[in-house]
Amino acid sequence: MNRYEKGAAAAVGLMALAAGAIFLFAPTDALQGPVQRIFYLHVSSAIAAYGCFAVVLLGGIIYLRNGSLAADRLARAGALVGLVFTTVTLVMGMLWAKPIWGTFWAWDARLTSTLVLWIIYAGYLLVRRLAEPGRQAARFAAVVGIFGFIDVPIVHFSVTWWRTQHPGPIIVNDALPGEMLATFLFTMACTLALATAMIAIRYRIETLADGPVPAVAEKATAVTTGQREPVK
Amino acid sequence: MSILVANGLTQWFGSEVALEAIDLAIDSGEHMAVLGENGAGKTTLLRILATAARPTSGGLEIMGLDALRERKRLRRRIGFVAHAPGLYPALSAKENLEFFSTLQGVPRERVAETLALVGLSQVARRPAGQLSRGMQQRLAIGRAILHDPKLLVLDEPDASLGSDAAELLEAVMHDRTVVLATHDHALANRLCRRTLVLRHGRSVGTATRLHIVQ
Amino acid sequence: MTNSIAIALAVARKDLTAEWRTRELVPALAQFVVLALIIANFGFQIDARNAPSIAPGVLWMALVFAGLVAFGRAFAAEREQASLEAMLMTPASPVAIFAGKALAATLLLIGCEAVLLPALALFFGTPLSAAIVSAVLLATIGMAALGCLFSAMVARIRARELLLPLLTLPLWIPFIVAGGQAVQVAMGATGNYDQALALLVDFDILFVVLTSLAARFVLDE
Repeated sequence: MNRYEKGAAAAVGLMALAAGAIFLFAPTDALQGPVQRIFYLHVSSAIAAYGCFAVVLLGGIIYLRNGSLAADRLARAGALVGLVFTTVTLVMGMLWAKPIWGTFWAWDARLTSTLVLWIIYAGYLLVRRLAEPGRQAARFAAVVGIFGFIDVPIVHFSVTWWRTQHPGPIIVNDALPGEMLATFLFTMACTLALATAMIAIRYRIETLADGPVPAVAEKATAVTTGQREPVK
Repeated sequence: MSILVANGLTQWFGSEVALEAIDLAIDSGEHMAVLGENGAGKTTLLRILATAARPTSGGLEIMGLDALRERKRLRRRIGFVAHAPGLYPALSAKENLEFFSTLQGVPRERVAETLALVGLSQVARRPAGQLSRGMQQRLAIGRAILHDPKLLVLDEPDASLGSDAAELLEAVMHDRTVVLATHDHALANRLCRRTLVLRHGRSVGTATRLHIVQ
Repeated sequence: MTNSIAIALAVARKDLTAEWRTRELVPALAQFVVLALIIANFGFQIDARNAPSIAPGVLWMALVFAGLVAFGRAFAAEREQASLEAMLMTPASPVAIFAGKALAATLLLIGCEAVLLPALALFFGTPLSAAIVSAVLLATIGMAALGCLFSAMVARIRARELLLPLLTLPLWIPFIVAGGQAVQVAMGATGNYDQALALLVDFDILFVVLTSLAARFVLDE
């Protein structure tokens, strides 16, 4: 097995351990019942999704500053993996909402901003695909990524504020007793490990897909022209 | 003395190579023609030389400056006539040039001079959308010389011009360094001392007027 | 610096002159919003009681769709592409050019709002107050900056009808939330108008600054 396969196997192994913790170690919630166990993966997934977006943001900023192809590749990898985790977060959120709130969807701050995150990822990937491949796609995507990263907390804040004007579904108390907290932290660590492994693998795929592209022109060597006075 | 030196200019669009390792040196005041079939890479090359586009790799020095880093400074001294005229149809010929004179930071007097040079004084107040294709091309050429550039890059300027294309271009090209892409071999011969021939993105060679075979 | 302002104004004047002479956009937008109001009336069964709670939603829906058209047009036409490049080949800074186009698009959308707001007041019997107008104008500024930035981006890409809303709407949500709330309160609902307006101002400042910084990456190669 090469190191990518080993990394993937390790990440999967960790997730299996996390699943064990969720179902065997963590106690059942008194108020919400077994459905509450979704919470561990749902929130971990959400954190991984935002984390991936931070990778996209970082890659984008570095790319705009110095045209680093590696930074752009990292952003690409982060976006794809992030979209996966955002989808997981949304689906789990909906599965949890139905028994608890009685409806699959509610316009609360978390669900809304996660949906917005999903839409921004989708826009990011579409722009990458439709723009002129190479510099233009990288540049435009970086701008989308930066605006998107700033937008998500602003949307979250806006909806929270709006909810103070229009009270909505009851916010669930997030305070956790010891065993639940431990389970959650463990699950979150495993999920982040999984996300890291996925990004690393995706980065490798992108590197291979890019092929033997010549160095980006921003780093082109200056032409030596010998004795020459600049024309005024 | 070379005013433009290109070294290994290469342009990729995704996985497609549009230009491969073009080397070029143009002297001050020289007129160079670029010939080639459609799709040979003429427009791609000209856009890079005019600093309208960046190459994927390679070096370009214009007037002693690194063209990839000093684009803003160089653009003051470069005039570019692109494939499409890019004029504002609702504005008159005069208003089009006045607008660009504001952007270029050149005095308004240049507008009337330029209109006269390209032979559009009579139709100065006509909306650009109502001008014939040839007149629009003249206007685009006029816009390119509004700021009296030292280097002029023309992408098939003769495409819509009539039989007096050669005279107009001679007048416009006078006293400037020019790179001119065209399909018209005779025009290239008449206006330019040297010719670069492109095929499938590669340079097939440069030749002086005497050596061009029709 | 003053040169940049002169350039931005020249660009704005050029766009507004072109629109004045062709009179394409503003009449089309005005017609669209009036149509939207008429449809809403039949779709929602408006009466004097529920009008104040439905009207704000109709207002913002109409504004968002009109905005997408207005800002999409700012950079859209293929001709604009060759002329945009011609503008970039001059010493004019991309930020100045962007500001000029955003200013023109804003003014054109305000022209549309000058029809929308009175028509809304007329058809739905809701008030037309300075409070409502202020909220709408403030939101328009930020929405214009964002709409024009992404319009410049998608103008170079295929599938722009799909991409422009996809990219722009997530960024417009804060404006719609705050602006919607402000208009609701101005029409009689409970809530905090001043807070909503302050939010709009904050969003305006943030996104005008950000789009100005991003303009040169989007406009130039």
